[in-house]
Amino acid sequence: MLKLFKIIADAGEATAKYPFAPFPVSPGFRGKPELNAAQCIACAACTTACPANALTMGNDTADGTRTWQLNLGRCIFCGRCEEVCPTHAIVLTPEFELAVANKADLLQKATFRLQQCEQCGQPFAPAKEIGYVMDLLRQSGVAVDEARRAEFASCPACKRKATVTRDAVSQHLSQEAEQ
Amino acid sequence: MSVSEQTKVGQNYVDGLRERFGAAILETEWQTADQVTVTVKLGSLPDVVEWLYYQQGGWLSVLFGNDERPLNGHFAVYYVLSMEGLVKSWVVVRALVEEHRPEFPSVTPRVPAAVWGEREIRDMYGLVPVGLPDERRLVLPDDWPEDLHPLRKDAMAYNQRPAPTTDDETYTFVNEASGSTRDVPLGPLHITSDEPGHFRLFVDGEDIVDADYRMFYVHRGMEKLAETRMGYDEVTFLSDRVCGICGFTHSVAYSSAVENALGLAVPARAQAIRSVFLEVERLHSHLLNLGLASHFVGFDTGFMQFFRVREKAMTMAELLTGARKTYGMNLIGGVRRDIMKDERTRTLKLVAELRAETTQLIDMLLSTPNLRERTAGVGVLSKQVARDYSPVGPLVRASGFKRDVRDLHAYAGYGSLPFDVHTEDSCDVLGRVLVRAREFFDSLAIIEHALDNLPAGPVLLEGFHYQPHRFALGFAEAPRGEDIHWAMTGDNQKLYRWRCRAPTYANWPPLRYMLRGNTVSDAPLIVASIDPCYSCTDRVTLVDVKKRKSTTVPYKEIERYGRERKNSPLK
Ligand code: SF4
Ligand code: SF4
Repeated sequence: MLKLFKIIADAGEATAKYPFAPFPVSPGFRGKPELNAAQCIACAACTTACPANALTMGNDTADGTRTWQLNLGRCIFCGRCEEVCPTHAIVLTPEFELAVANKADLLQKATFRLQQCEQCGQPFAPAKEIGYVMDLLRQSGVAVDEARRAEFASCPACKRKATVTRDAVSQHLSQEAEQ
Repeated sequence: MSVSEQTKVGQNYVDGLRERFGAAILETEWQTADQVTVTVKLGSLPDVVEWLYYQQGGWLSVLFGNDERPLNGHFAVYYVLSMEGLVKSWVVVRALVEEHRPEFPSVTPRVPAAVWGEREIRDMYGLVPVGLPDERRLVLPDDWPEDLHPLRKDAMAYNQRPAPTTDDETYTFVNEASGSTRDVPLGPLHITSDEPGHFRLFVDGEDIVDADYRMFYVHRGMEKLAETRMGYDEVTFLSDRVCGICGFTHSVAYSSAVENALGLAVPARAQAIRSVFLEVERLHSHLLNLGLASHFVGFDTGFMQFFRVREKAMTMAELLTGARKTYGMNLIGGVRRDIMKDERTRTLKLVAELRAETTQLIDMLLSTPNLRERTAGVGVLSKQVARDYSPVGPLVRASGFKRDVRDLHAYAGYGSLPFDVHTEDSCDVLGRVLVRAREFFDSLAIIEHALDNLPAGPVLLEGFHYQPHRFALGFAEAPRGEDIHWAMTGDNQKLYRWRCRAPTYANWPPLRYMLRGNTVSDAPLIVASIDPCYSCTDRVTLVDVKKRKSTTVPYKEIERYGRERKNSPLK
């Protein structure tokens, strides 16, 4: 009995003051994922990686927009999205107070503009992704100036068409040269 | 995988089978150096399993069906034996069942451990175990359509829910007692852990004469979900959720099943880190059960103290993995997070605190006079029943068997970590408490040793190739016994079949024998001593929401309470 009293005395107060005082979590704790929409290029890598289908991406071609959506009710806080994001746009925060009174509040959305193809006018990729690709090339030493944006803002089908035409012309020229 | 002749462990069993059963042995295929699958003629199935089990030191870890009609035109049944004689290895006995004759000879009359597995195969695949004495359903609800077998490939979508047709349970509880008895229903919401399970105790006065019980009220359909809806690499996160306590253990078992099937060599550092996380899980699980043991002998202050100290183990998990539970740390090929210097230092400090505080608490628990009085000689699992039913974990170890997959079939980093397999010969509740207490301190030592000796190198294997139609076993010792998984890869990066067996599934069948001869007031204590996990047992097919609701209102059961009932000679 005395032993028990000593243990209890040594333990002191075990109860935390939470919620009247903040409850600290360990560094690296995986809480609510947060999107920095300014940083996001709408590439959809996170939605492909998400094992719980909490992240989804939908295109509205009539509107020319793409909408990223996080359903916190499905999120399992695994952090796969953070792992695969090329721009660090999504990170898991230490936030763990996720209760909401209204189910719809569990949904978070971000809408991005789709790039229309410079040739055919069809939307084919998020506009920001095209800027990202140009930046990447610049970073690896390829001189890409804004004037060439039209080249990058062409859809794969139109690009293919352009390539075929160009090759046909050059082949034609070289045949002429041989003669 | 091609396994070279020299490295094959368990060839002696294959040779023995060929010598004894000759032409009945159709085919052998090695999955890893110590896993072999032997296809036998259907008629010889009981003989082969019985011989391996009783003559060669085999234990039946799991058995399951598989709908292989799209692959080879047949159904198949698999009996997984953990060979624990002189040579430690796995022998999987497989037999094909013809589509137009969906039946197979039951092994249960020869090896009682097969009973739940065979009942489940009948539910899930509609294959009839001929000669199986127990003809009741195991998993499916009473009003489930007769001819709908959920795991058949052509049966149904994973999210289909046949409408319930009745609120009444028609399940027959079996009473093997010979005199007249009184029925005492316990549940549907349960005595120990507030989880659903329906227990029926048959009593004479205060004494339990027999007991029967029914589980699977919270069946989540995970196997079907994984096979139809998820990528094989996403299932690691699903398996994390099989159990609220030993989820990481399940995810290690699953990951290693796929790694074994694909022949992947997981880096040594990843393996050691897996062992650390696995032991962290054992820490908080054993503290929970020791706390419950205090609670059940009426020592609630002790219960509170165990839970206070347990919080340190939870903090350790949060520190190392970023989450208190469902760590989400496994990928096929390794782990996602390394252990850094600061985390290591803080973990070691927590280990020291846990050791000091738990030593005091266990001292106190064991010197409580009530403990021995209430637990010694109570809930006895005799060695014979243990041998016949292949239970696992502290339950079987407290009945004198040295069964622990960490030791028998070393996986993760256990080949080079310090621990003992603790056993007791008392076969009772007290023995199980003592085994858990000792294992707790071993876990602390393992964590310390592993953190001090982490191998260098990467924590994840990258750039391997996925191959369909490969299969193997994966296993890991959870706090309450081994989790065992069998995975077969399929097309489109999806599993063709996933079988996941949680430890409590193996521990329920012998429970009735442990309850017999005890008093009603000991029942909660005995049930708690297997450290049961309901939802893990209930993992395969469907949750019947309506039914679950109706069973949470126990009026019918209360009405029955105290009603005199003649013993019906059901068996
Ligand atoms: S991966 Fe990153 S950049 Fe791509 S859509 Fe997701 S949050 Fe945006
Ligand atoms: S944390 Fe996991 S479940 Fe949640 S959104 Fe990210 S990937 Fe999806």
